[in-house]
Amino acid sequence: MIVVEDPRTLIRRWLSAESCIVVGKSIERSDSLEKALGRARFVEDYLEEGYLFARLALAKAPHARIKKIDYSKALEDPKVLRVFTYRDIPGENQVGYAVPDQPLLAEGKVRYYGEAVAVVVGKDPDSVNSAVENVFLEIEPLPALFDPLEAMERGDILIHESLGSNIAFRTKVRKGDVEEGFSKADVVVENTYRTHHQEHVYLEPEAALAIPDLENRMTVIATIQYPHLGQKIVSKVLGLPSSYIKIIAPYIGGGFGGKDDEGPLVAARAALAAYHLRRPVLLYYTREDSIQTHPKREATVIKYKSGASKDGKLTAIEVTIIHDSGAYANRGPFILWRATMHASGPYYVPNAKVDGYCVYTNKVPQGSFRGFGNPSVQFAAESQMDQLAEKLGLDPVEFRLNNMLRVGSDTITGQVLTSSVGIHEALKKLSAVSNWRVKRLEYSERRTGRTRRGIGVAVAWHGNSTSRAVPDWSNSYIHISRDGSVNVYTGIVEMGQGSPSSSHRQLVSEILGCPIDKVKVVFGTTDAPDTGATHASRGTSVGAIGIVVAAGRIRSRLESFLSEYYNVQREEIKISDGVVIVGNKIKMSWEELVALAYSKGVDLSATGYFFLPKGTFDDDAGRGFAYPAFSFIAIIVEVEVDIYTGRVKVLEVHPALAIGRVINPDAVKTQVEGAIIQGIGYTLMEKLVFADDGRIVNDNLTDYVIPTSHETPVIRNAIFVEDVWDYGPFGAKGVGEMAFIPMPAAIANAVSHALGVRITELPLTPEKVYSITKQLVG
Amino acid sequence: MYYKLPKIDYYRPKTLDEAIRLLREIDNSRVIAGGTDLLVDMKTSRVRVRALVDISSIPDLRGIEDLGRTIRIGAATRLQELIESNVVSQNLPLLKAAVESMGSWQIRNMATIGGNLCNASPAADTAPPLLAYDAEFVVIGSEGLRVIPSTKFFVGYRKTALNPCEILKEILVKKSEWSGWSYVKLGRRGGFTLSVVAVAVLAKVIDGVVYDVRIALNSVAPVPIRAYKAEEVVRGKRVSWSLIEEAANTVAGEVTPIDDVRSTSWYRREMSYQLAKDALAKALGVA
Ligand SMILES: Cc1cc2nc3c(=O)[nH]c(=O)nc-3n(C[C@H](O)[C@H](O)[C@H](O)COP(=O)(O)OP(=O)(O)OC[C@H]3O[C@@H](n4cnc5c(N)ncnc54)[C@H](O)[C@@H]3O)c2cc1C
Repeated sequence: MIVVEDPRTLIRRWLSAESCIVVGKSIERSDSLEKALGRARFVEDYLEEGYLFARLALAKAPHARIKKIDYSKALEDPKVLRVFTYRDIPGENQVGYAVPDQPLLAEGKVRYYGEAVAVVVGKDPDSVNSAVENVFLEIEPLPALFDPLEAMERGDILIHESLGSNIAFRTKVRKGDVEEGFSKADVVVENTYRTHHQEHVYLEPEAALAIPDLENRMTVIATIQYPHLGQKIVSKVLGLPSSYIKIIAPYIGGGFGGKDDEGPLVAARAALAAYHLRRPVLLYYTREDSIQTHPKREATVIKYKSGASKDGKLTAIEVTIIHDSGAYANRGPFILWRATMHASGPYYVPNAKVDGYCVYTNKVPQGSFRGFGNPSVQFAAESQMDQLAEKLGLDPVEFRLNNMLRVGSDTITGQVLTSSVGIHEALKKLSAVSNWRVKRLEYSERRTGRTRRGIGVAVAWHGNSTSRAVPDWSNSYIHISRDGSVNVYTGIVEMGQGSPSSSHRQLVSEILGCPIDKVKVVFGTTDAPDTGATHASRGTSVGAIGIVVAAGRIRSRLESFLSEYYNVQREEIKISDGVVIVGNKIKMSWEELVALAYSKGVDLSATGYFFLPKGTFDDDAGRGFAYPAFSFIAIIVEVEVDIYTGRVKVLEVHPALAIGRVINPDAVKTQVEGAIIQGIGYTLMEKLVFADDGRIVNDNLTDYVIPTSHETPVIRNAIFVEDVWDYGPFGAKGVGEMAFIPMPAAIANAVSHALGVRITELPLTPEKVYSITKQLVG
Repeated sequence: MYYKLPKIDYYRPKTLDEAIRLLREIDNSRVIAGGTDLLVDMKTSRVRVRALVDISSIPDLRGIEDLGRTIRIGAATRLQELIESNVVSQNLPLLKAAVESMGSWQIRNMATIGGNLCNASPAADTAPPLLAYDAEFVVIGSEGLRVIPSTKFFVGYRKTALNPCEILKEILVKKSEWSGWSYVKLGRRGGFTLSVVAVAVLAKVIDGVVYDVRIALNSVAPVPIRAYKAEEVVRGKRVSWSLIEEAANTVAGEVTPIDDVRSTSWYRREMSYQLAKDALAKALGVA
């Protein structure tokens, strides 16, 4: 029997696996006990006696030319050792991810209040804390721009002069002919939607501990979502080869995308200090530093026009998406691409014209956050769908089902979906299970009294992997020791989502056939092969393809060895849950099999690289391949609105997901629940308040409120439609972001249903809702 | 988050005399009770002090007692103790309701009633009920004891009538028969949050006539306030919906709210009206 090493063959083999031992089960996470007992270690827990402390000095002006950075007063304290600025960077200061517009430390200009200017290092936190306040910027103030619509038009004030405009980036999608589409429409709805920033509020603010060694190598333990990107940035900043940089992401106290943007920067700033001082340095952000400086969910203005015909079919959409990018593009172009690609919602639309603009302002930059540009555009798209349905006299669910993408449909970019489109079935089931029709009617008829009930629906789609043809891959390395224990090396990090501590272990145990407690995952390290980032819901969906390939290779070697050794067919070999059966006579344990394999020279180490096949996208034409697969979700939300105070309470949430194979139902459930609560916070209460100088006023958790258990509604068990993805591990697609994406739209639709009034601007704070319901009070 | 407090000297006196002496002798020293306000302010450098005098283990400052005609609450009594006290639930249900709306269980196990009052935040939740009860605050300094009526205690934004080196010793509330009470608090989320507006009402209704009423609010002025004009509207009148609306309108006219990160002044004024209506309806027994 030949050994199978080909990734596609291996992926396909496990895609169709049926009776599984651990896959598809709610296996307990390996990190739950450590975390419950407080033993799990986070960056700060690696601090040792004698290490140095560092904090950032932040800019206190929104837009200014830097004349001088004066830190002489900070250095008066003998315990303060050094203050590093852009001048001290041995390599490159330029760290922009998408376009080269962003310095690691401000150089020449300051472009937002809170921008990192210097790294202050001292022997104890007290001295560093006071020294930070003694770093002064001598500046020439420049006029600042805060409104993206204004910034787009202004040519006289330029945030990045060399660009000649404040538009950092543009995107577009074109399909059919929108003029013709609208001419066929019997109803047209046109609105402008506005969405706001969101702060991540991860429990653990950013930190990095940089430890230099005698050979000029640097190890950085950091709050980071992509160790290999950190390695690249640190190497660039220090001017050292990547091979000299090692990044470790220990347990991370939440990321939600924020540590994908800020992680490499915090690592590089700590490394810069350690590099010069030749001593370990812990750089930590206070909560206030964190909120002031790190990128946020984008604020948007979305102009949306859509039309449908009397028979309930969408005929055209025309959408303009404007992202307030803040001072730097950061990941803005990628976020904008995702918003642009998803502008239609998961519907078949024959004619589409979508334009995106990423616009600089003098505010904190936009950045990665669960949903990545998609929640705002789905909010617009799904608000439109409800209004079209109303004009057509159709039930919102019915209207959506009428237009839903199916296998064989083409999306607005012209990509034909060949498989894995379970959303139609998911919404149908959800509507039945949630008693949608009955409640929708009941609440419509009861629009009287102080508290009004409403029920709303929203669906969403989210492309797996990066947009367009941007390369994406998976990788891992697996090694089996002589005693049968297994090490899995992955760059995927553990930031609460649990992929390395649950699904990765399950996949390896299932494929190798070893007991799950034999599997130890070494995660979040550049000692593993580059696995890509832990973002975009990819920790399992894409991140673990490499694990399937590596484990599949070793399994195949073991089977091939057994078949030759005992002279049997593959079908006669069973390796499952630690028990090995060959033919009908031979039975041995997993450990015995490993010992035997070692003694006969079987290679029990393997890597598993897989490069995702993609099509091409023509940026100029706005057409082509968008994503290798889409995850889907439908959500039905019930709310109660107190019209005397404007308070909205989410009572119940019913989710239905089409996310391919579910590897660990409990892990999925926790992601869904967390995203729903985070979505409620974003939609109902979270809001950054900016002062006239661009400073974030509510940079602490007294003033920036996030939801608590009081706001947590009844969350029904999710309905799953297992629409397997050809390349996903056992057919899994991404889930981490999914439940966030439709929440703003679902809540807004439910509130509109309760009140009979449409609100097009988020968040739905009591104050905003009351400004509408006051008229209803009479 | 590596976020150490600035270096300070820390004292934990066992007696009030010693505490007062320490406060007098050490420059730039400050009382700490539960620390749930003060430590946050010190971490963000809103408050900078050299020494802290921890009064939480002084026996004279602790405890809740029924003295017959009066209830005495030691200033360093923890909020959770108030909730769990029979004396409080039987005699001061309005205070209990307000304290139940405060912070979380963890916070309430550290935070003290004296800290809440002396911090003098416009949003302090124990203030409206104590203003409504017409409580008296006993304070002690090197000159000895003095009594400050609750309505004279808050003198300005985050300012009290305490002299430097004075300590709030205890709170005294005269027992009285109230037929109804209500605490209605609106925050930016369902709980664990400071108020946007809160309204406390005590009422004595006999045969449908309001014999006495007290209305107090927080977060609508530089200090927690009584709504005296609205009380006048209600006192001596027969309970009715129109009376409640008139009173609530008067409340809305009496408040002087500001815009801040929690709310606009417009919304605060509107909510003073809505919440006063709710609180009055409940306390007057028409809800
Ligand atoms: C998470 C959180 C939630 C909160 N929620 C609420 C809420 O819902 N409602 C609310 O009103 N507050 C709330 N607070 C604020 C705070 O908990 C309360 O104000 C608390 O009662 C303060 O008491 P303390 O003992 O902790 O005061 P401390 O912080 O110890 O002291 C506060 C101030 O009072 C002074 N002081 C304390 N005791 C005395 C005394 N006996 N004599 C003279 N001066 C004294 C101190 O010097 C200091 O200036 C919250 C705080 C946190 C951190």
